[in-house]
Amino acid sequence: MQRKEFNQLKKSVISDIRQQKHRKRAAWLFSLIALIFVTLFGWYPLITAFIVAFQEFHLIRPSVFVGLEHFRLLLFFDWMVPLVFRNTLLYSGLSIGLTFLLPIIVSILLMEMRKNVIRVMMILWFIPMASMAGIILWKWFYSPEYGLFNGILSRLGFPMLQWLRDPRLTMFCLVLPGIIMYGPGLIYIATIQSIPDELYEAAELEGARFWQKIWYITLPRLRPIIAVMLILGIVSRMQTFDLPFVMTGGGPNNAVMMVVIYIYQLAFSEFKYGRGTALSILLFAVTMALIILQRKYFKENIDR
Amino acid sequence: MPLINEVGKKYWKVRMLLVVITVFLWIGVGLHLFPVYWAFMTSIKTRYETYSFPPTWWPHKITFASYTILFKASSLYKIMNYPLLTYLKNTLIIVGAIMAIQIPVCALVAYALSKLHTPKWNRILFLYLVGPMLVPGVISLIPLFLLLLHFPFPTKHIPTLPFTNIFFPHIKIINTYWAVILPGCYSAFNVLLFKGFFDRIPDELINAARLDGASELGIFLRIILPISKPIFAVITYFTFSGTFNTFMWPFIVLKEKTWPLAVIMYKMQHTIFQYYTENPEIGGSMAREVGPNTLMAVSIIQSIPVFIMFIIFREQLMKGIKLRGFK
Repeated sequence: MQRKEFNQLKKSVISDIRQQKHRKRAAWLFSLIALIFVTLFGWYPLITAFIVAFQEFHLIRPSVFVGLEHFRLLLFFDWMVPLVFRNTLLYSGLSIGLTFLLPIIVSILLMEMRKNVIRVMMILWFIPMASMAGIILWKWFYSPEYGLFNGILSRLGFPMLQWLRDPRLTMFCLVLPGIIMYGPGLIYIATIQSIPDELYEAAELEGARFWQKIWYITLPRLRPIIAVMLILGIVSRMQTFDLPFVMTGGGPNNAVMMVVIYIYQLAFSEFKYGRGTALSILLFAVTMALIILQRKYFKENIDR
Repeated sequence: MPLINEVGKKYWKVRMLLVVITVFLWIGVGLHLFPVYWAFMTSIKTRYETYSFPPTWWPHKITFASYTILFKASSLYKIMNYPLLTYLKNTLIIVGAIMAIQIPVCALVAYALSKLHTPKWNRILFLYLVGPMLVPGVISLIPLFLLLLHFPFPTKHIPTLPFTNIFFPHIKIINTYWAVILPGCYSAFNVLLFKGFFDRIPDELINAARLDGASELGIFLRIILPISKPIFAVITYFTFSGTFNTFMWPFIVLKEKTWPLAVIMYKMQHTIFQYYTENPEIGGSMAREVGPNTLMAVSIIQSIPVFIMFIIFREQLMKGIKLRGFK
């Protein structure tokens, strides 16, 4: 009797060990390809960046180690650097200040519509134009000679504007599409829909009004996702390239010359790879500083 | 849940508010539809009409010449050197390859992290896998370019194999599709999304299958895949639109023959706006029919695949986006 139980136990332990082994092997097999990719195309270039930035980098001749020379040149002797950072910060600030709240507001208001209306609206809203198509279309809207905007202005009897060719207007032109094309954000809608109805019902019993319900229930619930989106928004806007590059290529009189466009020019038209990389590390530092500030002043969870 | 209840709708003030909200939302929808309308209307105008000022709201004479001309390379002198089909093919290859590799790779590693690894390895691997995402991508822009010139070395000074004169094996990846595909094969963001979803699948489900003697891969394919459809739909859609729209990286590492649609559109708009709009006389020496109407035709063509993908994944997107793993 005892022997039988013992045998059974032995069997189950052995099969357990075998399973553990199987599991371990599967775990590593499943991770293998991803680990190779993240090593070769994630970490390796990143480490190389921190080597290249301290070298006078040549493709053909051997590279020379120059220490902080690139950073010194960039920070104190390159008049473009303050300009591009000013432009990038201005663009990020304007774009976040003017367009970040819109999807949140629209998503909250959208919930007031009837179910089928929401459905129709969402489909129409997400009839997307591919991003390059959108940029080109807006560039055509802005065309001073044949564009729609000047057409409307002249029809209404206002003086026509030079839009993208006017250094004072260019930055505004980059932000304008984001303001006009307001729409809901899928993530916000998802989060709002996951808020339990009981919360609102309880608030209603307490006599909460429409705005109070938004202020005291919806917004606090959205707070974590807003914090995440804000960080992603800052990071992506600090690296903006496509929009200014396609619209003006840096702009009349460098009006919308962004950091990444300047990095692109340094590396791929002047072949100063070391200096370009050094500038990208500076951009990283500035972005990090912004994120730290954001995390300090915009707590993810209000309860803590 | 609507915040304005039925009782509240009796008051005219509340009703006004509702009307204002409705109008505001429909205007937003209209503003989103207008560019599509305008692009399509411009694309079926004649070139002559696109240069009328003020612009016309609908075409006086409808022509589809701008679409047909795109498929004949010879007529697009200086604007694109190959017919549009070449660029469509390039886009298809790049986007298809990235999706075919990236999604399974990310899903498998996320599953391993979530269910298979021991807690110790879990933490280490997670940091290792997600680490590069915390740094802005632009830092690896130049180094990656240098590395792809003679992979895996950044300089032309390639070390020899020890004790021999033979150079270490290296290959030039730049100017081939692989230069865009390989760096796109892994996405830390997608791993996060997948992991968030897999974490909420109960372990009992997997353990039960293990007792039945299923292999780990079998469990993943037969049990995990069917219940993860929504997250796969979300990720497929976002990966598609992300890779379909990338402009900068292909623009840097590829030659015109392998350019995807977004890059050739950049070149087209550059030439057309430069020569046709600013100096119409110079434009006269190029093809007569080509102008902003051609540009808008390409825009419409480029938008169609994104739209099709949205329609395909719409139901799953609406469902999948509700998952709170989205963070």
